[in-house]
Amino acid sequence: MALIEMTGIKKDYHLGETVVHALRGVDLQIEGAEFIAVWGPSGSGKTTLLNLVGAVDEPTEGSLFVNGTDVRTLSDNRRSELRNKTIGFIFQGFNLVPVLSALENVMLPLQIKGASDREARKKALSRLGEVGLGEFIHHRPFKMSGGQQQRVAIARALANEPSLVIADEPTANLDSETARMIIDLMRELNEKDGITFLFSTHDQRLLDRVSRLVHLEDGLIVDGGTRS
Amino acid sequence: MKKWTKLALRNILRNKRRSLVTLLAIGVGFAAITLFYGYVSRTFWGLRQSAVQGEGLGHLTIYKDGWLEKGKLDPERYMFSQEEIVKVTKLVESEHDVILATPQIQVSGLISNGIVSTIFIAQGVIPKDDRTIKGTWEAFRPIDGEPLSDKKTYGIEVAQDLARYLNLKPGKDGVVMASTLSGQMNAMDMEVLGVYDSGSDATNDKYLRFTFDFAQSLYDTKMAEKIVVLLDDWQKTEAMRRVLSKKLADAGIPCQIKTWNELSLFYSKVRGMFGMIFLFIFCIVLVIVIMSTVNTMGMAVLERTREIGTLRALGLKKRGVSLLFALEGGLLGLIGSLMGTVLHAAVWAIIRRFPPTYTPPGLSTPVPLTIDLVPQAVATLVICLILLSLAAAIIPARHAAKQNVVAALGHT
Repeated sequence: MALIEMTGIKKDYHLGETVVHALRGVDLQIEGAEFIAVWGPSGSGKTTLLNLVGAVDEPTEGSLFVNGTDVRTLSDNRRSELRNKTIGFIFQGFNLVPVLSALENVMLPLQIKGASDREARKKALSRLGEVGLGEFIHHRPFKMSGGQQQRVAIARALANEPSLVIADEPTANLDSETARMIIDLMRELNEKDGITFLFSTHDQRLLDRVSRLVHLEDGLIVDGGTRS
Repeated sequence: MKKWTKLALRNILRNKRRSLVTLLAIGVGFAAITLFYGYVSRTFWGLRQSAVQGEGLGHLTIYKDGWLEKGKLDPERYMFSQEEIVKVTKLVESEHDVILATPQIQVSGLISNGIVSTIFIAQGVIPKDDRTIKGTWEAFRPIDGEPLSDKKTYGIEVAQDLARYLNLKPGKDGVVMASTLSGQMNAMDMEVLGVYDSGSDATNDKYLRFTFDFAQSLYDTKMAEKIVVLLDDWQKTEAMRRVLSKKLADAGIPCQIKTWNELSLFYSKVRGMFGMIFLFIFCIVLVIVIMSTVNTMGMAVLERTREIGTLRALGLKKRGVSLLFALEGGLLGLIGSLMGTVLHAAVWAIIRRFPPTYTPPGLSTPVPLTIDLVPQAVATLVICLILLSLAAAIIPARHAAKQNVVAALGHT
């Protein structure tokens, strides 16, 4: 069973009177432990595709299965649970909660899941150690560099041991050296823990490291890509 | 819950200036309500003491059934006979919570200093019992001269304005005249023992106080108009009225029993007026608290839209987002109320240390402005404002929860 199975996915947006066809019928299968990049020009539908896979948005047409679950049949609460347990998110702007420390940010998905403070703390500390931030656990986001914040975001995305991590332009706000370190870290986690990474990017360094490339143009997959 | 409360608290401190303004609005509103409540509470206490002790109404007044409707037309029929006075007094005083039951009679007529005459209304009381009813009030409004005494039954007390009009001072003589119950004119010599302040401009120019025996003699009767009952606690008034009504009815003496607040018209009116003012102030504070909280939480939702999207993406349910913002509203109410409590205590302490004085309408002398510290009222208002802030935060909280996750994540 594929981790992600999309068939005939269409997504339309209404901008006033105008209907924007963001995705025009996408078929995509993603297996476990893949390291996939979605690339294409601006407006090609990359972010829309990621939002649909991440169950934060609903398709207009088509079927979408995540881990064998038909996402379209789920209620809002069930989709929240699916995101919490199965999917991790890494955002371009890091999106850390500014009033929480690095440790508390990583504990957040675990606490949402209902884990005890002790258990959440233990797992969060372990994840922060993995991303090399063991010394910065009590730092608030505004006291950390962009690279450190993105590593906290990665630790947060991995906190609940998800099957899939979705990253929207994860290196866009980082300098070259930091971007390289983040790419290395994600690749290492992918290879070590078998976590599937799906991201959109324009970063050639990242595109060079992926196992599969999905090329989108005008809401259609023009090249499903093969493992590099 | 602890972790979400902690997060809510940190979010409140995020925009310190805005939160401080909201907290001050809640705190000042809270202090305004509690201070006014404390003032009203003390005023009611003063009015109660004035009615029960000052006016000598006691807590309960027992009339023979029919007196209040037809007593003036046929007084002898509706007054207590000597036998009944003894019986009622004995029955009433057998109750554990009753301090005393004493017969009284009210007379009206003319008072003369030998040159001019004017009307009067006098209360005929048993001096010893009257002193018990007055209690600490005597020290509050001391008599110029001597109080009523059983040893000199023709000695009377005169209210201060009446004494001034007739130039009556302690030791001076005069004459009082009234119709007896059978309709004959009766006049009796009297001696002014003391001059007192009735506490009210409306009564200071016409009130006298006689001994019970002197009043009975003036009306040429051995009967009593009413029996005044003093209790050990005013809060037992209503319960005791029910007990005594039944007891007296069972004993074959049907009576009407009035409470002190029913007889003190001034108390009832002031209470009604203060009730309206309190409601008015409460409504104003209510609107301020709701508007401040809605505004603060609305701004917070707007500023934290992307964060809401992130939390939702991480798996927080709509209910969780609502709860988080509602919790922030509730905490604003709690902290604002605690600030208000501190402000209340500070103002209370200053007023207690340096009490300003004022002359309330209808009173003849200035009184100190005093404010009661009412912990139950403070605690109730704290709970009330927390719930109110919580309710006020629900609208923006629901708005936050309903946001589309994708739109929220893309919000700048």
